[in-house]
Amino acid sequence: MSAVEEAREEQAAPGLIGARVRRREDGRMVTGAARYVADVELPRCCEAAFVRSAVAHARIAAVDVEAARAAPGVLAVLTAADLAAVRPLADMLEVESIKTPRPPLAADRVRYVGEPVAVVIAEDRYAAEDAAELVAVDYDELEPVLDVEAAIAGAPLLHDHVPDNVYFRTQFRSGGTDEAFAAADLVVSRALHVNRQLASSMETRGVVAQADPDGLLTVWLSSQAPFQQRYLLALALGLPESRIRVVVPDVGGAFGPKDFVFPEDLCVAHAALTLGRPVRWIEDRQENLMAGSHAKEQKLHVELAFAADGRLLAMRGRFVGDTGAFAYSGPAGLVDVMFSAQSLPGPYVVPAYDYDVLGVLTSKTPVAPYRGVGITAAQTARELLLDEAAERLGIDRVELRRRNLLGDEPATSITGQEYDGGSYATSLERALERIDWAGFPARQAAARAEGRHLGIGVSPFVEGTSLGTLAQLQSGFPMPSHDHAWATVDLTGTVAVGVPTCSHGQGHATAFAQVAAEVLGVGVDDVRVVERDTEASPWGMGTYASRSAVFGGGAVLKAARLLRERILAVASLLLEAPPEALVLEGGFAGIAGVPEARIPLAGIAGAAHFDPGVRAALGESGLRVSVFHDSPPAYSNGCIAVEVEVDAELGTVRLLRTVAVEDCGTMLNPTIVEGQVRGGLVQGIGAALLEHAVYDDAGQPLTTTYMDYLVPRSTDVSAIEVDHLVSPSPRTLGGMKGMAEGSSIAAPAAVLNAVADALSPYGFRVERLPLGPHAVWEGLRAAGTA
Amino acid sequence: MKPSPLTYHAPATVADAVGLLAEHGDDAKVLGGGQSLLPLMNLRLAAPGHLVDATRIDGLGAIERRDGWFELGAAVRQAQAEDDAALAAACPLLAAAFPHIAHREIRNAGTVCGSIAHGDAAAELPAVALALDAELVVHGPRGVRTVGADGFFRSFLETDLEPDELLAAVRLPVAPPGTGAAFHELARRHGDFALAGAGAQLTVRDGVVAEARVACIGVAATAVRARAAERSLTGARADAATIAEAARAAAAELEPPEDLHASAAFRRHAAETLMRRALHDAAARAESNGEEAS
Amino acid sequence: MKITLTVNGSRRELEVDDRRLLADVLREELGLTGTKVGCAHGVCGSCTVHVDGRAVRSCLTLAVQADGRAVRTVEDLAAPDGTLHPLQQAFSEEHALQCGFCTPGFLMTALPAADAGVPLDEERARELVSGNLCRCTGYDGIVGAVVRASAICAGAAPAADAEAQR
Repeated sequence: MSAVEEAREEQAAPGLIGARVRRREDGRMVTGAARYVADVELPRCCEAAFVRSAVAHARIAAVDVEAARAAPGVLAVLTAADLAAVRPLADMLEVESIKTPRPPLAADRVRYVGEPVAVVIAEDRYAAEDAAELVAVDYDELEPVLDVEAAIAGAPLLHDHVPDNVYFRTQFRSGGTDEAFAAADLVVSRALHVNRQLASSMETRGVVAQADPDGLLTVWLSSQAPFQQRYLLALALGLPESRIRVVVPDVGGAFGPKDFVFPEDLCVAHAALTLGRPVRWIEDRQENLMAGSHAKEQKLHVELAFAADGRLLAMRGRFVGDTGAFAYSGPAGLVDVMFSAQSLPGPYVVPAYDYDVLGVLTSKTPVAPYRGVGITAAQTARELLLDEAAERLGIDRVELRRRNLLGDEPATSITGQEYDGGSYATSLERALERIDWAGFPARQAAARAEGRHLGIGVSPFVEGTSLGTLAQLQSGFPMPSHDHAWATVDLTGTVAVGVPTCSHGQGHATAFAQVAAEVLGVGVDDVRVVERDTEASPWGMGTYASRSAVFGGGAVLKAARLLRERILAVASLLLEAPPEALVLEGGFAGIAGVPEARIPLAGIAGAAHFDPGVRAALGESGLRVSVFHDSPPAYSNGCIAVEVEVDAELGTVRLLRTVAVEDCGTMLNPTIVEGQVRGGLVQGIGAALLEHAVYDDAGQPLTTTYMDYLVPRSTDVSAIEVDHLVSPSPRTLGGMKGMAEGSSIAAPAAVLNAVADALSPYGFRVERLPLGPHAVWEGLRAAGTA
Repeated sequence: MKPSPLTYHAPATVADAVGLLAEHGDDAKVLGGGQSLLPLMNLRLAAPGHLVDATRIDGLGAIERRDGWFELGAAVRQAQAEDDAALAAACPLLAAAFPHIAHREIRNAGTVCGSIAHGDAAAELPAVALALDAELVVHGPRGVRTVGADGFFRSFLETDLEPDELLAAVRLPVAPPGTGAAFHELARRHGDFALAGAGAQLTVRDGVVAEARVACIGVAATAVRARAAERSLTGARADAATIAEAARAAAAELEPPEDLHASAAFRRHAAETLMRRALHDAAARAESNGEEAS
Repeated sequence: MKITLTVNGSRRELEVDDRRLLADVLREELGLTGTKVGCAHGVCGSCTVHVDGRAVRSCLTLAVQADGRAVRTVEDLAAPDGTLHPLQQAFSEEHALQCGFCTPGFLMTALPAADAGVPLDEERARELVSGNLCRCTGYDGIVGAVVRASAICAGAAPAADAEAQR
């Protein structure tokens, strides 16, 4: 029996794990009672507004804050000199890159428009902004660095210790690549400049800090990783971790960038410590689009080599990341290009592969991971090239993919990623079936007869998930990465589980409750999930990189099973029956088949607390268990298919049908999984057609409002049909795989290939991203037909 | 993103409003629904020290038919006008424009006169006023004047209004029988500012265009009247060839701006396409309206 | 300036700076934090409230502009005993929210149509909410919730009005 089939056999009988339980979070959210960081009310709280660089690259000659300090309602105006005791933000990873620590406020130099230069603390935000306008900064402008090639080729250095503005360089040679290319019957290549994107969660960043008289600094952060952030704050502020508490209230979306500590957080924390009043900063949308983290931009060049029968012989890739002005955090700067390079093979068999990766600094806002990171760019390039190769080889483009797809068994990619098996071929076939791929040629022909242009595209994907120690190593970012969980039963018989994750829309309070409830035989509503408070929840890395189902779910599973053993041990003593004869059901521990012989969990807990005999038998930690969990990576897979109509005159693209097939192994809550698939998919459509953070030649950002940075609306997308396959991971506890980035990874390629298909009579090629109407029109002109 | 300090005034009469504008000059702005002004103020791109709210002035909240015109006071909200069935029937170009204007929630607050007075080159209502040869009733310290829409829109966000003047009402002509209208836009997303757009209203009698009104948005510093298109259509049959040529001729005269969303050439091309489509739909609706009337 | 707002049925007298946004006054002076500020330039719709029965952007409304008017926020939807409005119930049932930040704005945008008792199909529902941005859900759940709620409300409600008949 194959490893994957064995895993399927072991899958738990259907219970609460895998059930479509309605979310418990919804009640407070639909009534306006959810509390996000901007809703945290503290007496005497004052507000910060930042003075930000108006130029892209300059020496700071002087900062005059006198007028601002005297303005009404102002409590303080801080510059870099006032924050000399705060250490710059530094990297936690052992990555071979040149570090560029990020100061809380720019001291002698600014390197991107929007970089914080000073901060005003005032009674309210209105007064703070008034005063911020009075701060006068004298800039000696320097030439900005706005293009990675120019940056490498002798543009001004952004950091004096980073030669050529290249802070990271690596390469990979599998062996045999040159020979494979030389022997190939067809080589296709594509250069793409991936559009700079913005995660743009509906809630911007925000921080509230309060120093209490005992010396505890409490920091409310809209965040993805409270423990990582507590540590970084401690390092920067020079405080022991034990004096810092990070509380994450409800978070209005994150998608990656809220995984870090930012200069603004340091300034606010410092102000709270020194002013003796709580301080808050709520990022406004302009700040968010301009100076919140950017993402994704890279220039890549990919080549694929084929035999005449369509076999993929080899790949080559060069990936150059446009990181922005600071690479203070390895993952932040390198996730795009490193993950592109590593994931180019995707769900296909690739015998040979060479890649080169560069991380380059530019006079732009620094980047951070954003859903899908660089896997999206690799997926896009590869799938565009597969369609091109199919056309040039005269092979059907689905058939070409079939010939190269991996089998279902676990396999290791040419870049060392250990896939744990999946449903690569099945998910492709399912997507084709759902979108009626077979019937499309007739639909397309009928439309063409009416002068309308329909197109269809397909994009099978693999999604690396569950970043733990091993996955971090395999992806080139060594970082011991693990989590903890705890579980206990209280005296009233309810269960509490502490989880190491940091939900920001993913429904952990429900999904993890389902896991614990199933194992412990209680209702979902009898499980409280404790998360996002460094005082109360267990140490963990947080929620990012699609890791929570495996790490959070796995840790809860582990803890719940351990707690179950303890409960049964107590019940065994009390009921005088061996544990194997006992069941947990409906909030009771009882002897199977003997309805009268049962004890409620409250009774179990009571005995564990107060019965000396039971206490002695249970040992030191009683009915509270604590577990450590580190998991190998798990690889989800799936396939997106999209049908579009293109208005060839105006260049607009309308999505007619969208299908997503998702295989993330054991699902905790299919409704939550589907929601993630849909949300990611729409972000992918934005990446393909709408979203672009643009700078002009002077380094001024042009897309600093929602008028210009275009996030998809409901009318920009079609309804999305989601279908599931289940290939439990043979490697993770519970068989879960992470998910939620796959659809954002694969959707752009599906849409772009569909547009190219619609315009294939004109020889249209996707060269520009995003593919807005103007880009489509230019593409048609380039092909000679607009 | 909070506005700069300001003083808000809610005058009850036009005279009071004008007095405030005269007193504060350049430091005062008329406030309609605020849907154009508030974003600028929140971004601190505009910082008027005084806001004179036009929507609380007595008598300016009505939509009234007078002879061959509909008069909309400065307090009339876009949604209010959109929902007025008599107005929609009489001004089909206006009715065609509303669904393109942002979203309903913006139209609930924004005023018709406010949008016209703001004069954004990519906005629909100035183009409608221009196409229909609307009359704009302006009150100021020097008295009342009626300005034709043609010539009202001077340049980018600049109209004929002096800083101490108030656009108190707009008058739109009632369309003759056999009139149809359409508005087509190229916007990145539904409700966004148009990269280019065209509104067309045609009156057709016995298959011949008796009156053609065409205006384009997003193609210049103000809305523009596509006079070349109107000339070639008037007196002709509104068939595909005539319409295509009319659109082509009008587009050839355009010198559209460039920005991060579109080049000049693309805007010109889009404007031609949109004019063609708007004229086609307008002609079809004019035909069916003419059939209904007869 | 001294203003009087009737907020969720309660008359409130306030002294506010002329420049204070209605969104900020609701959230801070009145503690009604359900209304969110997502962009402060009217595009995202998170701040949507009702003023005199019409859905508007509270980030583009000065509090003083609402003087003498009735304001309704998301906190007013559920009944005093906690029973959810059919629209709120539908949002949960259709998984129309993930992070929940945009949810109050969507609810207030969809509310007039739901309360008008006109059943909406998928296309009209999708268009109805096209002025609000959501980054988490991909919109299907929201559209489904609006369709569902409008059908339920139509089952129970009398005649429609112009607001919903667009």
